Amino acid sequence: MSETGKISSRMSDRQKDLVQKFAALGSLVALTAVFSLTSNAFFSIDNAMTIALQVTSIGLLGIGATCVIITGGIDLSVGSVLALSGVVAALAVKDYNFPIWLAMLAGILTGTICGLLNGIAVTRLKLPPFIATLGMMLIARGFALQITGARAVSGLGDAFGELGNGALFRIESIGDDGFPNVTFPGIPYPVILMVVIAIAVAYMLNRSVLGRHIYAVGSNADAARLSGVNVDRVTIFTYILSGTLAGLTGCVLMSRLVTGQPNEGVMYELDAIASAVIGGTSLIGGVGTISGTAIGAFVIGILRNGLNMNGVSAFIQQIIIGFVILGTVWIDQLRNRR
Amino acid sequence: MIDLSSGASSPAGAIPAQRRAEETVLSLSGIRKEFPGVIALDDVHFNLRSGEVHAICGENGAGKSTLMKIISGVYQPTAGTIRYKGEEVRYASPRESEAAGIAIIHQELNLVPHLTVAENIFLSREPRRGPMVDRRKLKACAKACLDRLGVDIDPDAQVLRLSVAQRQMVEIAKALSLNAEVIIMDEPTSSLTEQEANLLFRVIRELRAKGVGIVYISHRLDEMAQIVDRVTILRDGRFVSSHDFAAITVNDIVARMVGRSLDEKFPERISVPTNEPILRVKGLTRAGVFSDVSFDLMRGEILGFAGLMGAGRTEVARSIFGAEPAEAGTIEFNGRELTIRSPQDAIAEGISYLSEDRKSQGLAIKMSVAANLMLANMSAVANRFGIINRGQHKDRASHYVDLLGIKTPSLDQTVSRLSGGNQQKIIIGKWLFRNSHLLFFDEPTRGIDVGAKYAIYKIMDELAAKGIGVVLISSELPEILGMTDRVAVFHAGRIAKILDTRATSQEEIMFYASGQDAQRKGMQQ
Repeated sequence: MSETGKISSRMSDRQKDLVQKFAALGSLVALTAVFSLTSNAFFSIDNAMTIALQVTSIGLLGIGATCVIITGGIDLSVGSVLALSGVVAALAVKDYNFPIWLAMLAGILTGTICGLLNGIAVTRLKLPPFIATLGMMLIARGFALQITGARAVSGLGDAFGELGNGALFRIESIGDDGFPNVTFPGIPYPVILMVVIAIAVAYMLNRSVLGRHIYAVGSNADAARLSGVNVDRVTIFTYILSGTLAGLTGCVLMSRLVTGQPNEGVMYELDAIASAVIGGTSLIGGVGTISGTAIGAFVIGILRNGLNMNGVSAFIQQIIIGFVILGTVWIDQLRNRR
Repeated sequence: MIDLSSGASSPAGAIPAQRRAEETVLSLSGIRKEFPGVIALDDVHFNLRSGEVHAICGENGAGKSTLMKIISGVYQPTAGTIRYKGEEVRYASPRESEAAGIAIIHQELNLVPHLTVAENIFLSREPRRGPMVDRRKLKACAKACLDRLGVDIDPDAQVLRLSVAQRQMVEIAKALSLNAEVIIMDEPTSSLTEQEANLLFRVIRELRAKGVGIVYISHRLDEMAQIVDRVTILRDGRFVSSHDFAAITVNDIVARMVGRSLDEKFPERISVPTNEPILRVKGLTRAGVFSDVSFDLMRGEILGFAGLMGAGRTEVARSIFGAEPAEAGTIEFNGRELTIRSPQDAIAEGISYLSEDRKSQGLAIKMSVAANLMLANMSAVANRFGIINRGQHKDRASHYVDLLGIKTPSLDQTVSRLSGGNQQKIIIGKWLFRNSHLLFFDEPTRGIDVGAKYAIYKIMDELAAKGIGVVLISSELPEILGMTDRVAVFHAGRIAKILDTRATSQEEIMFYASGQDAQRKGMQQ
């Protein structure tokens, strides 16, 4: 304990960041090693793609959550918003015969609008972010249930499922027995989407003026305002980003199910927040990275997958993930204590 | 000067051998404190007698705070002994030292804002009746404590509704209720007005008369003459000397603090005021805050804003900066009338404001030196898509680090780790990078050590010489007299008088600041 304290106090902040990132990455590697040993099926390309696919929703939502949390806010509405966006896209196809791409766009825009409303509630109405997005969480879920009559929207056609189930570079041949022989499962579209968006948002946070302003608002909103930063606009932007990504996540998820599910995504907001927090994002604001959040999302994803393969019950999984969150944040606190 | 060298070489010899009637209540000898890689204190001595006010002087980083934390048990000394009332002690926590009768009143006051005055004074020691708090007794005891101080504060008032000065009194009352025999005050006057400070001094004198030993830490040497009996000087974590306050001059104290003689507290002015106005403000009004404020600022001039806290000095500056815009009046800047609705408008016109509260309003405290320097003008180091050019970003930031002499291990250092003086320089650098043509400095040297103050004054002078408008808002009259060409004295939301600095005095400024001319006019009518 005191030994690590001594070491860390001699390191610069940059070194500390690196150490923490490697620590998180290290635990990821350790998890992978342990599960590879305990389960034969774990370490395979197939399973890697499965995990990546499972992580996409947490990952996409986590990216939005990270930006919001860096400004010192929180977005509790994303689980409901993704359900609303997904069913809007599904209903647009089924009841209004929209082409798939336009329906999906309508779904994503639904998320954008929800995010905009969150942002306005936080900045113009000056509601605490927790309350504003808690309200949106109920409102969006209510809308999703109301417009579908709480029933799943099915019969959307195979094309609706392409985004969620398709893959790039899939290599297969029809075998002699008439069944397809999969040489390489391909990279699922949602995974590609997640990687591209993660890189884009990380670039935005690190290298753009807007990103710098996001950190400045979270570090000290008054100082940012007096430095000429349009604090309200920056804040609203992060909620719009979070809402839009929730909308996109909704479309991807519903596409994967080829069904509009108004009950989808319950508690996803907490997974998103957890992945950001495991990745070192501070709930006080001003601190956080996309790479950290990506690691956090994979820690949760690999834990779930590996524990599943080892036959650990879903309830025990929850308990373990709960402890992981407490543990990582505790380590983070130790690191920051001086 | 001869005395100086002998005092520094034989520290013990600086104290007259004669024994006073008061006995030593707290005595520290040979105190050493090591942190990983740093020796914060080395062989420090300190003797406090009961019934005396003993000041500890030293620049930022001299070890004053560390020493206080050792006395109060926050830190344990690496070596050395602490004797309290004749017995060797070692406190494991502030709780233990408090129980023994050593109270510390911090710069950032430690009160719970949502509780009442009485609840704060007896927090965790509430008088009980059965399991319940005996509210009547609580209030009566609190009232008794406050009465002993001779201050009029309602025990039922919520602390968040009190002024800083009143909160300080509550802290002192709390210390008294603990039967404290030693009270440590860390920068107690840094956010008080002159009147409030005078009340504090009265209370300190009363405590002294009751036999309480008071350790007094302050940057404001000028006010010490009013209350301090003895002074101990630290430099770079080492003991320099102890003196009877009457036997040493303020200049000598400063010389020992910085380890060199500082003949000049203020730089020789190089800027020369012209008759060409940069800024003309007419009839500026914000209902209930200030009204009909008019003044001109000339090129090359440093204009002072003096007055008591709450007289409207800061508020006028913030309204010109657009933080809380005025409702009426005109602002003419470089011959053009401006409409300013937000800080962004003001910044776009080249007007900037260095807030009095660096940590809460000036700096993005978790961000790096470079990021803070660039914060107000990010677009200058980014392309048209808003992507930052990292090379330029680094170049420009290191330019200002060099220009202003900011002491930092690297550009990536988090600003919260830097000293107050360096933080202030970063804020100045931020506005210089923004090409500001008018800067409001609001209490720019508060809580900054002597050497850094001088550097800040020099920067202000150089800016004025370059034709940049400089307004200095300050509660420290010597600073106003030492640095400005003219001074606008505020009283109750109005400019009572604009004085020529060379032809005025502290007394004349205070005369207008306290509203005595208004009273006199009233009587004549």
